[in-house]
Amino acid sequence: MPEESFLTDDFLRQLMNVGEVDIVVGLPTHNNAKTVGPIIQTIQSGILRGFPRERAVIINADGGSRDGTTDLVRGGSIGDVGAKSNLNALRTLHSISTDYSDSSDDSNGAAFRTILAAADLLRAKACVVMSPESANIEPEWLSKLLRPILNDGYDLVTPTYRRHKFEGLLVTNLLYPMTRALYGVKIREVFSSEFGFSCGLGSKFLEQNVWDDGAYSAGAEVRFTLAAITGKYRMYQTFLGDKMHVERRGAELVPALRQTVGALFSSLGPDYPVWSAVSDSTSAPTNGADHQVLLDPLRVNRKRLREMFSTGIMELESVFQAILSPETIVELRQIAGMSEDKFRLPAELWVKTVYEFAASYQRSAINRDHIIQALAPIFRGRVYTFLMENLHASAEEVENNIEALCLEFERMRPYLLQLWKSI
Amino acid sequence: MREMIIGELSTAFHEMVRGFAHFLPSLIVMLIIALIGWLIAMVVKVILRSILRLIKFDKLSQNAGTSQLLAKAALPPATEVLSRFVFWVTWLGFFLLGVYLLGIFGLQNQIARFFVFLPRMFVAMFIMFFGLLAASFFARAALLAAVNANVPSPGLLSTAVRVVIIVFTTSMVFEELGLAEQTMVLAFGIAFGALMFGLAIAFGIGGRDLARHFLEKRFVHGKREDNNDELSPL
Amino acid sequence: MPLDRDSLWYKDAVIYQVHVRTFHDSNGDGIGDFRGLQSKLDYLQQLGITAIWLMPFFPSPLRDDGYDIADYNSVHSSYGTLEDFENFLGAAHDRGIRVIIELVANHTSDQHPWFQESRSSTDNPRRDWYVWSDTDTLYKDTRIIFLDTETSNWAWDPVSKAFYWHRFFSHQPDLNFDNPAVQEQMWQVMKFWLQMGVDGFRLDAVPYLVEREGTNCENLPETHQVLKDLRRRLDEHFPGRMLLAEANQWPADLRPYFGNEDEFHMAFHFPLMPRMFMGLKLEDRKPITEILQQTPEIPPSCQWSLFLRNHDELTLEMVTDMERDYMYDSYAASKTMRLNLGIRRRLAPLLSNDRRRIELMNGMLMSLPGTPIIYYGDEIGMGDNINLGDRNGVRTPMQWNGETNAGFSTAPSERLYAPLIQDPVYGFPAVNVLRQKSAEHSLFNWMQRIIAVRKSSAIFGRGSIEFLYPANHRILAYVRKLGNDAILIVNNLSSTAQAVELDLKRYKGNILIEMFGKNMFPRVGDVPYLLTMGPYQFFWFRLRRV
Repeated sequence: MPEESFLTDDFLRQLMNVGEVDIVVGLPTHNNAKTVGPIIQTIQSGILRGFPRERAVIINADGGSRDGTTDLVRGGSIGDVGAKSNLNALRTLHSISTDYSDSSDDSNGAAFRTILAAADLLRAKACVVMSPESANIEPEWLSKLLRPILNDGYDLVTPTYRRHKFEGLLVTNLLYPMTRALYGVKIREVFSSEFGFSCGLGSKFLEQNVWDDGAYSAGAEVRFTLAAITGKYRMYQTFLGDKMHVERRGAELVPALRQTVGALFSSLGPDYPVWSAVSDSTSAPTNGADHQVLLDPLRVNRKRLREMFSTGIMELESVFQAILSPETIVELRQIAGMSEDKFRLPAELWVKTVYEFAASYQRSAINRDHIIQALAPIFRGRVYTFLMENLHASAEEVENNIEALCLEFERMRPYLLQLWKSI
Repeated sequence: MREMIIGELSTAFHEMVRGFAHFLPSLIVMLIIALIGWLIAMVVKVILRSILRLIKFDKLSQNAGTSQLLAKAALPPATEVLSRFVFWVTWLGFFLLGVYLLGIFGLQNQIARFFVFLPRMFVAMFIMFFGLLAASFFARAALLAAVNANVPSPGLLSTAVRVVIIVFTTSMVFEELGLAEQTMVLAFGIAFGALMFGLAIAFGIGGRDLARHFLEKRFVHGKREDNNDELSPL
Repeated sequence: MPLDRDSLWYKDAVIYQVHVRTFHDSNGDGIGDFRGLQSKLDYLQQLGITAIWLMPFFPSPLRDDGYDIADYNSVHSSYGTLEDFENFLGAAHDRGIRVIIELVANHTSDQHPWFQESRSSTDNPRRDWYVWSDTDTLYKDTRIIFLDTETSNWAWDPVSKAFYWHRFFSHQPDLNFDNPAVQEQMWQVMKFWLQMGVDGFRLDAVPYLVEREGTNCENLPETHQVLKDLRRRLDEHFPGRMLLAEANQWPADLRPYFGNEDEFHMAFHFPLMPRMFMGLKLEDRKPITEILQQTPEIPPSCQWSLFLRNHDELTLEMVTDMERDYMYDSYAASKTMRLNLGIRRRLAPLLSNDRRRIELMNGMLMSLPGTPIIYYGDEIGMGDNINLGDRNGVRTPMQWNGETNAGFSTAPSERLYAPLIQDPVYGFPAVNVLRQKSAEHSLFNWMQRIIAVRKSSAIFGRGSIEFLYPANHRILAYVRKLGNDAILIVNNLSSTAQAVELDLKRYKGNILIEMFGKNMFPRVGDVPYLLTMGPYQFFWFRLRRV
């Protein structure tokens, strides 16, 4: 599709009517009618409370909902037409919507691209993307994500959350430690469903990337964070509180891996000049806690995790042969055969495995998506190990363990470099 | 009598000399064609080899599983095999063209059939190669999907996918070659039927649990405890 | 030019608000007077206005700019005599200009003989003419209006050893309208001036006439009854005269002041004015359309009166706290510009002397439903002097020319009632009538033209309004209609060029004729009518079927 036509005429007309704004709130949706109403209201009160004088717009990029999501969004405009809202707003607050499902690429990345393009056209000073699935979104989140950009000149504001020590293990066991080790910046949530960014960063990312490739635009959020790091943009973290989702869509491991690890792995190639030169990791300034941990007991089917790991190791041997080194395969096989009480996938082996996956991904040893899928069973083994190690751990101990894993990722960096050079 | 013999001999000799004199230019032409053919085949081989290297054919064939087969048969890499094969086919083609020009009756027919057969052989090889490639890809995709979905016996499923695709490819290849069409259709039918039957039995006996699980998941909405136990990775 | 006989004259009027003191000094004492005003009637006729609203000119200690009256039936000696006034009135009427004067009914000066008598003893017959109490705890639900100067609505009178009630300054005791004698006296005052020929009254501070315990003492039914009685007598004896209410209230609370065509003819639309300024600053029509949506229908013979600026501060009572903060930050960054709940500045300085914005605001003033009031000096873009106390900064002498005392007076400049504006931008050498008359594109000439265009159609004063809501919120568009005639008005509130699509399906087939240049614009078709507008541009189109 040619560049000019990726926004529809109707959407452009809506943008024209919105005109120049200070703040764009992006809301990617797809059949979120159940939750989108209250979320729009929360966003509105966040704007009215935090930014009563700023010109703002809510831009909904919808993936072809059939449950009336877009009508709910459009109905949320605060203006003078049939005004009955008792919200005390100085200005018109447009709430507009576009359907990107007709475009060649209907991934989440297309939604993000639409939002970026709209923010660019409207010359917004700051932009924030909100998730239509957050169960506990609060009006203050907008201020927390936007103020650092508008007032202090930061370019990317990522959230930190309070969450259960066993939630978000892909983040704590892979994404956070690996990006920290390779890119040298301690960003807790490399992948987040809520984040704020400056117009400068948004526009740069919009123009720099090849979007026509659908596979590429999946995981755009991770790429965006990495682009901010590699572009030496100013990063900031802000504590939002609990992370809760209405539907636990994040529970599906393979799509989650594709969206995050896939994006991370594929960025390593082009970013090689950056990460190969990193020697240390630094913290981004953070407002509030950079994490908080809940410790309530949580029912987890540990047996299933271990079984899926072992089955995976046994069944996928032919696949692993194309991805992993023979020694790693041997070690994994040994662990798979261990009895329950001895079963552990130690940090070192985990890091080595991940790095070998990353290198195989880079040289496309087999189909790249198959590589990502093959990581799932091994990750389950790692999750099991993490659960066992931290079963009775305090918040501090959990954090220490994560820190140790991060250091392991950093210590093993030369191994990845070595693998990279042999490609 | 003697004169008759001498006469016959000399006539035969003359005939032979005349025949040979008649045949010799054709032979020379044939040899020249064979020589030129050899040269062209060499060139084709070199060009093909560099093209295949450029498109990383070895990796493709590794993906298809042909490289492993070749390795087991102690053959050189796929690129080498293919380019040598093309060399010999090309040279043989030219050689046969030369033989054809000799005008030896009977041989001509066979040679003509060879030339008609040649393109179909290439198409068949092409189908076979991509069939193997697809079989390997989809078998692995099925394997990964099954493992990650925690479906019992993922290996079996993967093998089944591979076998179905290979059987199908093979039947296409034979049809393309026009060999034993009847037999192949029959054989394919039997093989496919047997496979389905086997799967049905396997699903019925070995996969009772799987079947129950599948049906439950499909039609009984309340039971999703497995998923609820899963942690949110993000 | 004689006065028109139409009893609804106030609906078509363009009113000019002026204080006699500020306009022209004929006798060289430094204070404007009626002879001076009379000498400038030609200028006002030239401008095109059809009525003058005179601020209080009665004898007064002048502690509240004349709103503290010491004698209702006379003229303050500084401004001339009753005869001077009568001459002025006659001269105005000769030019077809009507005259509206002030009736400050709610209170008098504490120097008024009535109050002197009332305080003199508790058994004086006029004791009951004011609101007296032994305690200062009555009517405690009543708000204080002059927050910056007053702490209570009760003031202790040391003479009569009691508290008296005052809604404004403590030197302005409120009259007791529960007393029929007071009501009768007020009618006598009105009759005095009506017989002389004045065309209407602006009644000051009308919501506060009557007090009742347990209420906020504003807009009480008893107050409405007092006003209805006055109107009844007016209609009976002086048909065709007009009453204009000053009640700084929300539109819904204002509606009762029109009654059933039996109370006021006109009332100021106070909440609209700050919202016009707000809409301009926000570049968003929402504040304006919202307040007009909340404005109730009024009876056919009644009319809103609209204004951009007047002699008081730009009042921000009728806005929310958030809106007030925004207005302060946008229009009165310096604290000295603020007074009570408002901004004490003139139109031109409020709009940064930006001609385009001044024109747009005047364009809206002239085209929104109601009768426009122009505050003296705003037609030439006069400035203010925020160093003068209270609201005196917007009450400086009119600037006639660039000569001594701006042609206002021949007195030595230190004897002027107030110093002239001197700063380089707004000072009289730069901003004056003489200069603007001779400059073709001056604000004065432009004002003259827009007043003429407004007067060319009765739709502006009498037509209905129907808002178009184009999706572009920077565009304020409405259709004024009267009978079969219609005028389309489109305002761009933005400082940048804008495109707008108007839904004019209902007017399909009409051509648009731009009213200032009389040029044709394309015919209205089935598709949305596309207009592109420059910064702060506005269009008035007559819709014409051909």
